[in-house]
Amino acid sequence: MLPSGRFSASPEQDMAIVRTKSQWLLLVGGLIFAATLVMYVPSAWQAWLIMLGIYAIAALGVHVMTGLCGQYSMGQAAFMAVGAYTTAILGTRYELSPWATLPLAGIVAGLAGLIFGMPALRIKGFYLVMSTIAAQFIILWSLREWSWAGGASGMPVPGITVGGVALDYVQYWWLTLALAVAMIFFAKNIQRTAIGRAFIAVRDNDLAAEVMGVNLFRTKLLAFFVGCFFAGIAGWLWAHFFLYISPNQFSFKTSLWLLGMIIIGGMGSTTGAVLGVVVIRFMDKMVDEVAPIVSAAVPNWSGQVAAALSLIVFAVVVIAFVMVEPRGLYHRLQRVILYYRLYPFSYQSRARGP
Amino acid sequence: MIVDILLQGLLMGGVYALIALGFVMVFKSSQILNLAYGQMIAIAAYFLYWLLTSIGVPTWLGILVLFVSGAALGFILERLFIRPLMGQSFLALLMVTLMLGILFQGIIVLVWGVESFSLPFTPSGMLKIGDWQVSPGASWAFLVSLVVFLLLTLVFRYTRVGLAMKVVAADNEVAQSLGMKVRQIFSLSWVISGFLAAVVGILVGIVWMVTPDVGDIVLGKGLPVLIVGGLNSVPGALFGGLIIGLVESLGGYWAAAVREIVPWVAMLVILLVRPYGLFGQKRIERI
Repeated sequence: MLPSGRFSASPEQDMAIVRTKSQWLLLVGGLIFAATLVMYVPSAWQAWLIMLGIYAIAALGVHVMTGLCGQYSMGQAAFMAVGAYTTAILGTRYELSPWATLPLAGIVAGLAGLIFGMPALRIKGFYLVMSTIAAQFIILWSLREWSWAGGASGMPVPGITVGGVALDYVQYWWLTLALAVAMIFFAKNIQRTAIGRAFIAVRDNDLAAEVMGVNLFRTKLLAFFVGCFFAGIAGWLWAHFFLYISPNQFSFKTSLWLLGMIIIGGMGSTTGAVLGVVVIRFMDKMVDEVAPIVSAAVPNWSGQVAAALSLIVFAVVVIAFVMVEPRGLYHRLQRVILYYRLYPFSYQSRARGP
Repeated sequence: MIVDILLQGLLMGGVYALIALGFVMVFKSSQILNLAYGQMIAIAAYFLYWLLTSIGVPTWLGILVLFVSGAALGFILERLFIRPLMGQSFLALLMVTLMLGILFQGIIVLVWGVESFSLPFTPSGMLKIGDWQVSPGASWAFLVSLVVFLLLTLVFRYTRVGLAMKVVAADNEVAQSLGMKVRQIFSLSWVISGFLAAVVGILVGIVWMVTPDVGDIVLGKGLPVLIVGGLNSVPGALFGGLIIGLVESLGGYWAAAVREIVPWVAMLVILLVRPYGLFGQKRIERI
C-alpha cells in the first residue's frame, strides 16, 4: 500500500517494484552498506556474508517453487549439488571458464529439477514432498558412487581469476552480492509476469487455475525448473567459494534449513525469503559464538555442543513461528510499515487488517 | 547363499514394517505424516541405553520404563504441538513434526555426542536353521514385529476402541456426529505410535549400531515402506516392509553399493505408477 495521500497515476507506477523515494533511498543506501560492510569486518564474518548470499539465492529458489507455486521441495540442497558438480566437472575436466559454466550450472540443475518434478503432474501434498526427499537421496547417492566425479571424497574446483589474480573474500562478496541482487530482481519480477500469476493461481487452487486456462503441466514444471535454476546458481557460487566440493556438503539438513528459512521469513514473499535467510544465518553464527561458553559451563555434555545447539535453536525457532506466526516475519514487518504509512489514520487499518 | 540373503532381507523387512506401522497409526486417524518418528525411535534407543548403562537398572525394568515413557512422549507431542495446529495446512504440521525430529536429534547430539553402541543384550553369533544362517537379532526383531502386528489386528477387529479408531480413520466428521470422542482417538493413536517407537527403538538397538544418525536411517527405510504399502493401510505396512526388505537385500546381492538406494527408487516408481500405494485406498487428491 502506498503512503497516505499518494496514488498510482499510470500503469507503470502501479507495476513498479520500487514505489517511493524513501524506498529508493533505502535500496541505494542498503546496497552501498552491503558492498562496503565487507571491508570493515573480520574474515570470519566475510565468509559468513558470502555464505549468506549463497543461501539467499538457494532460498529464493525454494520461494519460487514453494512460496509462489505451492510445490513443496525438500531437495533443494541436492539441486545445489548438481549445479556445483556441473561447475566442477566442466571447469576441471573440460577447462571451461567460470563465466561459461555459470548459466550451464543453472540450466543443468534446472533440468534435474524437471526430472524429479515429473511426479508433480500426478501427485501433490505429502506425496510430492516424498518425491523431492527421494530426489535428495538419489542425487547424493549417485554423486557418491560416481567415481569419475570424485566419488564420496569429492573433487576440486578451479577458482575464478580476473586477469590472472584469484579473487579474495572482499571481491568474492561483491560477485556474490551482484548475483544475489540480480536473482532477487529476477524472483521479484517473476511475480509480475503472466507466468508468476499462473504460479500463484496454481498454488491457491490448481483445479480453478486449470479451468481458467492455466496449463498445469507446463506451469508446475516451469516452477521446478526456475526453482532449481536458482539452486544451480547458488551451487556455482558454493563451488567457487570452497574450491573443493564433496557430496556431504549438500546434506538433507541443508534442504530443510532452506525450507525453514522461507517459513520464518514469510511464505510467498521475496523480501520475506531474504529476511528469513538473514535471521537464520545470523542466529546460527550467534550459536557458534555462544557454544564454547556453554560447553565450558557444562563440561558433562559432549564436545558437539555447537552442532547440537544449532539444531535445537533452529528447530525451536521454526516450531515457534509455525505455531505463533505462520505468516512469518515479513508479515510482522509489513504491519509496522503500514502503521507508519497510514499514520494519522492508522486506527482504521488496525480495525480492517492489512 | 541366495537363500540366506533372501531370509535376512525378509527378517529386516519385518523391522521395516514395524517402523512404517508407527507412521500408519497416526496417518490413518488424523492424516498427519509424523516425520519426527525416526528421531523418536532414535531417542528411545538412546534412552534405554542410558537407563541400562548409566543408571544401571535391570533390563526388564528398563524396558518397562521405556515403554511407559514412549507412550507418554506420544501423548505429550500430540497435546502440545499437534492439537493446536489441527486444521492448519499440511505444510505447518509437516514442518512441526520435522522440526521436532531435528530437536530430538539435537538433544541426542548434545547429551550423547557421537557415541555409538549396540544394546547390551544383543545376541551375537549366527543362528542355524538347517543349512541356512540368519542373524539371531534380526530373527528376534522379526518375531516381535509379527506379534505386534497380530496384536494390533486383533485390537482393531475385536475391541470397541479398535472399532472406534477404524471409524475415525474412515471419516472424522461422521465419527464426531455419532458421539465418538475423536480427539481422544487422535490422542490414543499418538500414544500407540509413541509406544511403537519405543519397541522399534529396542529392535533398532539390536539389529543396527545406534549412532546419532540412526533416526535419519530409520526414516529412510520407513518412508519408502510407507509409500509402497499405502499411507493408511496396516497390512500394507507389513507387506510393504517385507517387499522393501527383500528388494533391498536382492539389490545388495547384485551390487553392494546399490543396497542403500533401492528403497528410494522403489518408492519413486510407486509414486509415479500407483501413488496411493499397493494396498492404500485411492483417496489421494488427484488433479
